[in-house]
Parts: sequence; structure tokens; C-alpha cells
Amino acid sequence: MKPEATDKPLIEIRNLRKRFGTIEVLKGIDLAIHRSEVLCVIGPSGSGKSTLLRSIAFLEAYDEGSVTFEDRLIGYREENGRRRRAGERELNADRSGFGMVFQHFHLWPHMSVMENVTEALRVVKALGRAEAEQIGREMLDKVGIAAHAAKYPEQLSGGQKQRVAIARALAMKPRVMLFDEPTSALDPELVGEVLAVMKQLAQEGMTMMVVTHEMGFAAHVADTVVFMDQGRIVERGDPGATFADPKSDRLRQFLNTWRERSI
Amino acid sequence: MSFIETYTPLLLSGLWATIRICFLATLLALPLGLGVTLLLRRPGRALPALARLYVEVMRGTPILVVLFLLYYGGPSIGLVLEAEPVGILGLGLYGAGYFAEIFRAGLQSIPQGQREAARMLGIPSWRILLRIELPQMLRLVTPPVINQIIVLIKESAALSIITVAELTKIGAQIANETFAVIEPYLAVALLYWLLIELIALAGHWLERKAKHG
Ligand SMILES: Nc1ncnc2c1ncn2[C@@H]1O[C@H](COP(=O)(O)OP(=O)(O)OP(=O)(O)O)[C@@H](O)[C@H]1O
Ligand SMILES: [Mg+2]
Repeated sequence: MKPEATDKPLIEIRNLRKRFGTIEVLKGIDLAIHRSEVLCVIGPSGSGKSTLLRSIAFLEAYDEGSVTFEDRLIGYREENGRRRRAGERELNADRSGFGMVFQHFHLWPHMSVMENVTEALRVVKALGRAEAEQIGREMLDKVGIAAHAAKYPEQLSGGQKQRVAIARALAMKPRVMLFDEPTSALDPELVGEVLAVMKQLAQEGMTMMVVTHEMGFAAHVADTVVFMDQGRIVERGDPGATFADPKSDRLRQFLNTWRERSI
Repeated sequence: MSFIETYTPLLLSGLWATIRICFLATLLALPLGLGVTLLLRRPGRALPALARLYVEVMRGTPILVVLFLLYYGGPSIGLVLEAEPVGILGLGLYGAGYFAEIFRAGLQSIPQGQREAARMLGIPSWRILLRIELPQMLRLVTPPVINQIIVLIKESAALSIITVAELTKIGAQIANETFAVIEPYLAVALLYWLLIELIALAGHWLERKAKHG
């Protein structure tokens, strides 16, 4: 789905800066994500892709700039012109529109698949067991894992685990899904099943920001591709033009390296 | 042998005292140790520093010195207790320092991403602790906790010095009365060994149970 240029963005990122110690990892990022847009972030290792995603979700506290979700500042409160960190409850409210999927799934190993998916529904939304499990089954169905609801994470393949993790995030009805290299920890033959679920989500109109090394996915599913290098966005645009005719040497180099590797 | 007949009731009373003291001390030390571990993770500097200091002091002080301080120094701060409660308190405070270290390591070995996933879903931190961290941590720490309980049982022999009538004290008392040294202390050693084997067995059973859900 193409975002309309006139639409107000769902997420706006302005001059975002993040340091780890003295090293600046994000050097002033400006980015907007529109409703139903699928935005893929590509770039070499260490360029700051994960840090960007984690700063948007406020898993890392950014140092300067702002991230807003529907005009709501994420992670900070501004009072009398000063900023203070949001407290836990405030932060939970800020994040309630976000769903996040990690490279290494991070399922809770002592809980069954169904418990993983329903835990937050029961705790955060205070749903009863039956109601939570009904939503849980719907979500597991959506990612094609319903048959494994009673199993434990260790009994699943990597692709199945990641699909459970997606179902877990979806159960909370997020407005935007953030993916950090969701297929990078998977055996090659399992990548497809996860990408298929993500593609389906995109087609249903989910707003998605995906850090990925899967150029095929970026080319076919993304509305916008963002290329990062050394803490900056070097290039952005629709995938067709960006991949076919990179403006910067760095992106050209990056794509060439990728093409050589994938032959 | 008449030695056994004569002294079995006394030895058993000593064994019972050791079991009672160690049980109560462990009951005190486990939640206290967990409390110290949780302080380590509080925001700010003061509380974590306090918790670290506690662990360092308990690890750096012989149990006997802890007991002397409580027993002889206690009254000067208004803490007047009989020998056995002092022993339980001392052993409990001492054990808490070690349990805190075990718990800290246990929590640390749970991947950070599991907490982040929970936070992204809006789960409050106390629920994360209760439902996600503690169940996994308890499984992980069962072997070292059992091991530490065994160490505490052996350390409890030091309570004999502040006149608690636990197993070692009873052994010394019998040795005094009979002028026999080998038999009473062999009997004492055997009883400690039995107790510790029993704890170790219980530990293995717990571990196996934890593994199979
Ligand atoms: N918690 C941290 N503390 C210190 N430095 C960090 C931390 N997290 C990331 N960095 C550094 O920040 C830089 C950007 O890291 P980031 O993980 O965002 O890169 P990335 O683009 O996601 O790379 P990759 O493709 O390897 O995942 C790297 O140099 C990394 O070493
Ligand atoms: Mg990364």
C-alpha cells in the first residue's frame, strides 16, 4: 500500500541521536512512517539499524531528538520546557501501539506456546482465561501454528518459534510492528515461512518497520527502503528505484557485496 | 555396645537441634537473599551499593565472627537473645549473602531479550519478575542452593562455640564425659553425613522434577 504524501505520519522521528558512552551510534535520524506503510531498513553490520528500532521502542533511551507516535512523544515527558524520563506506567502506555519481534524470538521457555501468546492478554488486558485463549487461538491460526498450542518453545523449529513470537505480539493488537532481523537466526529453509507470514501482514495493511538482510523481501514487499550507514540514513526511496539505481557509492557497494554473496 | 545405647538419645537430640536450626536459618536466608538480589537491581546507586556491601561483608567474614558479634555485641544494641536464636539469626544472615550471589547469577543467565519482549507487551516489572524470571531462576539455582544449604549445615557446627546444644556440641560433651574421642566424633560425623546425603537426594529429586515440568 502506497502511503499518501499528504497523510500525517503514524510515527515521526526527528533528529534522533543515540550515544553509547562516547560513541555516537545514531547521528541525527529523520524518518516518517505512515499508516500501512512497510518500511525496510537495510545497511551494513554496525550501522545502527537495531539501535534505531530499539530507540523507537524506547528499549534504548535516545539522547536527543524525538520519536512521536500519533503526536505522542515516546519515552519522555516534557514539563516546563524540560524533559524527564517516562515512568514505567507511562512508558507502557507509550509503547502500547508497538509490537516487536526479535532476531532471537525471546519466547519464554517455561511457558507453553498458548501461554506465551496469552500472558500479556491476561496480565495487561486482564482478560479471563477463556477469552484470552480464544484470541490466542486466532493469532496462532493466523501464523499457522494452532496445532502446536500446547507445545513448549524447545519443541519447535526456529521458524515456528518466530511465528509464535509474531502471534504473541499481534495478540495485543499493535498499530505498528517492529521487526529486528526476524529471519537472521533461522536455517535457510525456514526463512520462507516467516517471510510469508510477514507478507500476509503487510497485505492486511499492518504498518511495519523491518530491519532485514532479505533483499528479496525488501524489493517485493516494502513501500520504502531506507539504507543506513554509520549512524545516518544515506538513501531512501521506493525499492524499485533504490535497488536499480542507487544514488550513493556506499549503497552501490553494499548491493554489490550482497549480490556477490548470494550467487 | 553400651556407648551407643547410652548416648543415642543425646546424639539424636543434637541432630534434631542441627536440623531445626539449619531449617529455620535457611527459611530466613532464602527470602532475605532474594531481597538482597532484588535490591541490586533497583534504580539509583544507594540501594544496590548497600546490597553489594551486605554480600561482601557476609562473604568476607567467618561465620564464627558473625556469631560472636551477634551474641556478645548484640546486647549493646539492645539485641539480647538466647544462644539458639542467635545461631539461627547468624546462620541466616550469613547464608543470605551467599544465596543472594546465587540468585543474582541465576537472574543474570536469563536472556535480557525475554524481559524486553515482556516489556514491549506492557507487562509490569513485578509481573515479569514473578511469572517470567523467578520460575526460570528457581530451576536454574536449585543445584547451587542445595549445595549452599549443605555448606550451611556444616557451618552450623560453629554454633557449638556459643554453647548451642547442636550436634557438634553434643559430640564434644560426650567426649568430655567419657574421655573417649573417637567414638563420639565418629557418631557425629556419621549423622552429619546422613543428613547431608538426605539433602543431596532431595536436591536431585527436585532437579529431576523441575526438568520434567
Ligand atoms: N548496548 C550497547 N553498548 C555499546 N555499544 C553498542 C550497544 N549496542 C550497540 N552498540 C554499538 O552500536 C553500533 C550499532 O549497533 P547496532 O546493533 O545498532 O547495529 P546494526 O546495524 O543493527 O548491526 P547488525 O546488522 O550487526 O545487527 C555498533 O558499533 C555496536 O557495537
Ligand atoms: Mg542489528
